[in-house]
Amino acid sequence: MTGLRHRAWSAAGNRNTVAVVVLLVLALIYPTIVGSLQLVPVIGDFVPKTDSMVVMVVFTTMAIGLNMVVGYAGLLDLGYVAFYAVGAYTAGWFASQQFSQVSIDFGAAGIPDGLPGIHISMWLVLPVAGALTMLAGTAIGIPTLRLRGDYLAIVTLGFGEIVPQVVRNADNVYGFDLTHGTFGITPIDSLGFGAVGAALGLPESFRQSSDRAQWYFWFAVVILLITVFCSVRLRDSRLGRAWIAIREDETAAAAMGVPLMRTKTWAYAIGAFFGGVAGAFYASFKGGAFPADFYFNISVFLLCMVILGGVGSVWGVILGGMLLSYLNVEGLANIGSTIQATGLAFDPTKYQFGIYGSIIVLMMLFRPAGLIPERRHRVEMEEGVHDTPFYDVQREGTLTDRDGSDD
Amino acid sequence: MFGKKVVVLLSFAVAVAVVAVVAVGCGGSEGSAPEALPSSSCTAIEYEGDGNPDYLVVSDLPLQGASRAQAVQIVDAIRYELKARDFKAGDYNIGFQSCDDSTAQAGKWDSGKCSQNANAYAANDKVIGIMGTFNSGCAAIEIPIVNEAPNGGIAMISAANTYVCLTQGGPGCETTEPDRYYPSGTRNYARVVANDAYQGGADAEFAQSIGLKNIYVINDKEAYGLGVATNFQKAAESLGIKIAGFEAYDPKASSYEALFKKVQASGADGVFVGGLICENGAQLIKDKVAVLGANDGAVKLITPDGFATQQTIDDAGSASAGMFMSVAGQPIDQFTGEAKEFADTFSKDYLKGEPIDPYAIYGAQGAQVLLDAIGASDGSRADVIAKMFEAKVDQGLLGSFEIGATGDPEGASGAVTAIVVYKATDKLETVKVISPSQATVDAALGK
Amino acid sequence: MLPRLRGARVTDLIGLTLLGLLLIWLAVNFVKGPAAFIDISLIGLTNGTIYGVVALGYTLVYGILQLINFAHGDVFALSGLVASTVIVSVLGLDEGSSALVIIGGLAVTLVVIMVGFSLFNASIERVAYRPLRNAPRLAPLITAVGMSFVVENISLALYGVNYRTVPNLISHSDVIHIGGITYSWSKASVLIIVIPLLVVLSWFVRSTKQGKAMRAVAQDTEASAMMGIDVDHTIAVTFLIAGALAGAAGIVYLMQFNMRFDTGFELGLIAFTAAVLGGIGNLSGAVLGALCIGFIQAFNEGLGWFAPGSDWTRSMVFGILILVLVFRPEGILGEQTPEGA
Repeated sequence: MTGLRHRAWSAAGNRNTVAVVVLLVLALIYPTIVGSLQLVPVIGDFVPKTDSMVVMVVFTTMAIGLNMVVGYAGLLDLGYVAFYAVGAYTAGWFASQQFSQVSIDFGAAGIPDGLPGIHISMWLVLPVAGALTMLAGTAIGIPTLRLRGDYLAIVTLGFGEIVPQVVRNADNVYGFDLTHGTFGITPIDSLGFGAVGAALGLPESFRQSSDRAQWYFWFAVVILLITVFCSVRLRDSRLGRAWIAIREDETAAAAMGVPLMRTKTWAYAIGAFFGGVAGAFYASFKGGAFPADFYFNISVFLLCMVILGGVGSVWGVILGGMLLSYLNVEGLANIGSTIQATGLAFDPTKYQFGIYGSIIVLMMLFRPAGLIPERRHRVEMEEGVHDTPFYDVQREGTLTDRDGSDD
Repeated sequence: MFGKKVVVLLSFAVAVAVVAVVAVGCGGSEGSAPEALPSSSCTAIEYEGDGNPDYLVVSDLPLQGASRAQAVQIVDAIRYELKARDFKAGDYNIGFQSCDDSTAQAGKWDSGKCSQNANAYAANDKVIGIMGTFNSGCAAIEIPIVNEAPNGGIAMISAANTYVCLTQGGPGCETTEPDRYYPSGTRNYARVVANDAYQGGADAEFAQSIGLKNIYVINDKEAYGLGVATNFQKAAESLGIKIAGFEAYDPKASSYEALFKKVQASGADGVFVGGLICENGAQLIKDKVAVLGANDGAVKLITPDGFATQQTIDDAGSASAGMFMSVAGQPIDQFTGEAKEFADTFSKDYLKGEPIDPYAIYGAQGAQVLLDAIGASDGSRADVIAKMFEAKVDQGLLGSFEIGATGDPEGASGAVTAIVVYKATDKLETVKVISPSQATVDAALGK
Repeated sequence: MLPRLRGARVTDLIGLTLLGLLLIWLAVNFVKGPAAFIDISLIGLTNGTIYGVVALGYTLVYGILQLINFAHGDVFALSGLVASTVIVSVLGLDEGSSALVIIGGLAVTLVVIMVGFSLFNASIERVAYRPLRNAPRLAPLITAVGMSFVVENISLALYGVNYRTVPNLISHSDVIHIGGITYSWSKASVLIIVIPLLVVLSWFVRSTKQGKAMRAVAQDTEASAMMGIDVDHTIAVTFLIAGALAGAAGIVYLMQFNMRFDTGFELGLIAFTAAVLGGIGNLSGAVLGALCIGFIQAFNEGLGWFAPGSDWTRSMVFGILILVLVFRPEGILGEQTPEGA
């Protein structure tokens, strides 16, 4: 073990490569070994199915996106679910029968000829969803990012509440059905290798293939890795350093020439991008987008992953994300059936958000930097930062930073 | 900085690999029993016959939250039917799993759960039939997924979905409905319950019969509530009743008094609510009474089966008195023949004195149709579907009907297309049984 | 300097235009049906008053700690649910009880709940917020979000997912009935309970030593600590008062509406919006903001001419929140000092 540690410490460039290779190998073999893992006595009952792993990886991806906003730039976003919604609905618009007025097929996998609606290949829809969500993030960000921390949190929460209601009510925009109301958009096209892939013996469409979960899982991991890569690279870039400077001391950062608005908006937009991609991917996996999916609790759930793992720490967020989404998808239910097998009538899934809430509170009280703390952030938590002290109530100018800090 | 983490990850990887190898070593004893669906949603396989089950039948219902009571009775009705046949359909041994499509936190069906379940069914080649869903919204998710299952579409039969456009198109539906639910091009979904056009039509005919002229329609905007409200509106208009307004209410709002002020200003003499009692329905009823007066006064209140349960009276208290509630089927006290026999035995065996829910009998009827289809089939999923669409029920639990090409019950006589209207006192009192005329039903569909 | 000035003028112009459109909309609706308009206003007044009591809890805590106490709404909901148990199961009040018994019973409930929940709220502060006094500012806010879920799930565990209600203890007979306008005792009871509370609160904050200490801490914590004010004690008192207000609001709400475990989340957001609208930290602002929200909500749902209707209410409330924060973050009364409450 010391050898491993030594190597990892000494070869800075190799550290990520090693971790990524490990993750890749695990991901590659997981669908194959999951069956035998589940046969292991005692722990076998708690091994997540490949199907659940997809959901876990998707939510972890979103958590990493959120981490860029909350962790790097220190902007508390309580409405991240809005980005998930925009991503999911973009998939619904461009890869389903929603707009049956037209019939467009652009490389979509596994759909019959002449199917009404817009059917762009899901591979293209993913980045498009990211880009649209980025636009939405910018549009939300520009008027609101000038607000101070806790006000920003509330405004994002407001957007997080408005977006689902708009989605719900936009089934009749002057007679035009944009979102199909509470019914949601279903079915959304599947990812797949299309006719070319089919010729090579790969599934034309994942949904029609018997290895659906496995393919979705592998590509979810690919998206996760891309997100992690971007996240790590961004953190070490000029922009990332600017974010961290803003997080640590906004006034000082501005004084050192960091353009606050532009930098914050980038954090918001990039964080939104990954939320949108993950949202579109999940919509395709699930086969639909529904307004009822986008409620405030999801935002808090994602925030909880970031806090549990370690605000600002990529590896921490992966750990926190996988752990919590495991609990959410399967874990609590599995634990519940174990508890109920002993005769106790207690169902932990019923209190899942209470459990996440307790995790947030306990983490903030006892280990505020998270399970795998980011070093710099731990220092901030332990030694304090030049943040406005908690009970220093300055009446003047505390409401916004609109004075002087604008670029 | 990553040193420790990499070590953690690597040791985790090693641990996983070791466990996997060990597990592969010990595993490998393959029984002929079918692989069970995941325990996070479903009960263990229930099977009391000889040997191992050849196929699985699953039910997919919201077992938590507001619809729990009805869902549990449907599950029990399926168990009842299976027991009565010794877990056999024709020559095949049938195992049963009851799956849950709801979450406790939401207190109702959840789209993620529906999709997860449907994908689990699709991936399990032993699943040969699905009894479900309860909510039309969930059906809209599950039908296309199981329709495109890798080993062929799976037969699905619902005892409770009443949303019209799942099976039939028409002016009230999207142009791509219902075809969008059947991406493979072959239908795999049927139901043994009359769609909302019947209930909307019956409620409209009832409104006409009590002399209402001007009705305000409100709905919860959910698939079911909006659907039945739309059907009611269209049917009522065809009968010459004026629609004073058509509006959504927000189930999360705390008060509806302002909304009813608007109703009052419209001069309506009746209110129709498309919604569910669990969606703040009790508050809605109370505020209706507070603003528009008692339900047997000048402004009547008509509700569909989303309100037709004892819970409405318990929750809304005295405000519920005099409101009308409709529900598909025959009044339980008027059951005859096979239906009466079922109700008596079922109540005795499963309900321990609780009142039987109208949905139990629909569940039993659905299970019979599905199990008969499996029994008559050659054991392939495609043939089960084909046999399901050939099903003819003669003097069965719900009278006589056959499953038409759309999957809706057709050529019906008896309970399956009848609608009972109850009036709330301290319990549900039967007022009238209506079988809406074909003209009204067509009008409700917007034809 | 110049671009900023111009920017300010443009935002002011947009804000004033929006305000003008709102007034025109109200005027047209009033002319179209004056009686219905007044009726609907009375509904708005009742709801707004209830929001106001909850909003006061947010604004008190924010004024002193600059913390959005997310859990406040859920404390409110839990207090209402517990009150339903006290009223129905412990005291056994129902519609048939005599007026004296009902008034006495409600008074007892009010006292018990207000005391109980002031302690509950203060213990939340002690356990979850006090250890974070010197942490970065977002830390207690995140904790508050977590606390909110914890409290909500306590309600869920105790009361399940169904709505709870109490019998109509206060008669729905009319206080006023002129033309089409009606105002029932049940609605009037809200004002009858709330107004004295507000008077007491205002007296407390203005005139007592403890109230003066609160204002001092709100103005400058360090200076007041130097002047010998026990800051921790003062903050604890603030949470006690906020908890008592949540309890009172819970009972008043319960007398009007059904409640369940997640009522507090929805209502908390509305009340918080009200506090921001009025100018957070400002006590009269919170009440004023809450009345505005109550009116807007009722008008939106009840008026016939160009009202978006109830399925847009939530978007409207949060739209207002966002517009206020963008155009006038200090709120309606924000420029007055909070001590002037």
